[in-house]
Amino acid sequence: MSNLLDSLSTELRRGTLTLAVLSQLQTQQYGYSLVQSLEGSGVTIEQSTLYPLLRRLEKQQLVESSWDTTEARPRKYYILTDYGLEVYKELKNEWLSNSKQLYKLLKGDGLSEFD
Amino acid sequence: MNLIDVYIHEVTRRLPEKSREDIGLELKSSIEDMLPEGHSEKDIKQVLDQLGNPATLASNYSDRPMHLIGPKYFDLYISFLKMIVPIAAVIALISVAATQFLAFERGDTVLNVALDIFVLSIWRIIEVFIQVFFWLTVMFAIVERVDGIKDNQPRTMSLNKWTSDDLKNIVYIPKKRAISKRYIFVSLLWTAIWATFYFFASHLVGVYEKTDEGLTFIMPSLNQDVLNSFSSLVVIVIGAEIALALYQLFKGQWTKKVAMLNVLREVIGSIVLIIVIIHPNLFNPDFLTYLADNFTISSEDVRKFIIMAVMLFPIFSIWNCVDGFRKANSR
Repeated sequence: MSNLLDSLSTELRRGTLTLAVLSQLQTQQYGYSLVQSLEGSGVTIEQSTLYPLLRRLEKQQLVESSWDTTEARPRKYYILTDYGLEVYKELKNEWLSNSKQLYKLLKGDGLSEFD
Repeated sequence: MNLIDVYIHEVTRRLPEKSREDIGLELKSSIEDMLPEGHSEKDIKQVLDQLGNPATLASNYSDRPMHLIGPKYFDLYISFLKMIVPIAAVIALISVAATQFLAFERGDTVLNVALDIFVLSIWRIIEVFIQVFFWLTVMFAIVERVDGIKDNQPRTMSLNKWTSDDLKNIVYIPKKRAISKRYIFVSLLWTAIWATFYFFASHLVGVYEKTDEGLTFIMPSLNQDVLNSFSSLVVIVIGAEIALALYQLFKGQWTKKVAMLNVLREVIGSIVLIIVIIHPNLFNPDFLTYLADNFTISSEDVRKFIIMAVMLFPIFSIWNCVDGFRKANSR
């Protein structure tokens, strides 16, 4: 059962990752700082997923990147574009209304343990 | 040897040339971010384990599919395979049969030719299957990669997305009325078999005796000249059988019309059979004597027995006709 559960919950989480990442990019972040701020909020993300995801978001023009070479270690920073911010807001509303609906469904399932 | 550089190389060598440097630099800085101050090789290994298989990471970066044929084209691919393989196999079989029958004319033995046809057919079918499978797979793998439209909607035969209009192109056939491909194949095979025996009766139909060299053909049962004198009639029967089989293949189900044509075919076949079988010189007199001696009856009686046995065929025909109508009327 645990294997199935793992794959199901991975599937559940997959769709939310983009939203989680977008939410953190309203301020400028580099790869590892993003990992830390996500983990700080309890969101775990495979780094092998995160870095390619950032690149994909850049290709879709939701974020833009810049290299900071002033420090000892060069870092690539990402931040939302105007278009990205717009998409993020839409997506956030979508998620909030979806989760409200789901909450209602789950609350009425008979084995409720909600607080 | 620097594990980090090797790891980054393992990732970037799988990526398109132009993005290698940028991704490499970013990965390097990310990996270094993850390492604690004054790290050991153990720390590096731990971080790299966390990042996982370089091939997976690289595939996450690239837009190219990690499969040969994805869900978008898989159904179409299988449909094509199912459609083309039988057709190609039939063509291969016909070509094998045609070339091998020429061997008869050169006076080869029956057993040899039959064995050759059997072995060659199996080889040819395997060969054809591998060819079709290979080329179709290559074709679809290419289509999967050059397809610029990035949706994952499975494609239908029209190469477009499925709409309810596609249902109009499907002829719904109730199972009881369906004419299976196997039925058509068996009837075509039957036609081919009896036609072969008919036209090569002097080589095939007769008395075989076991000798040191295996089965030897001693004498033919039938008079090939008499058989050949009916050849135009027989060709009509063969034509009728092939035509009906193709018509059934095209229709795919039993209808009143199919059942009626089936009756027509059986009637033609039975009439020709009767005309041929009652010809007074059909049987080889030596053969009749040979049997008569073995069963101690007169050779005229032997002939009557054989004719009576052959007359069982029209009974099957009647049953076949009735069955056709029964299927055509079922819902």
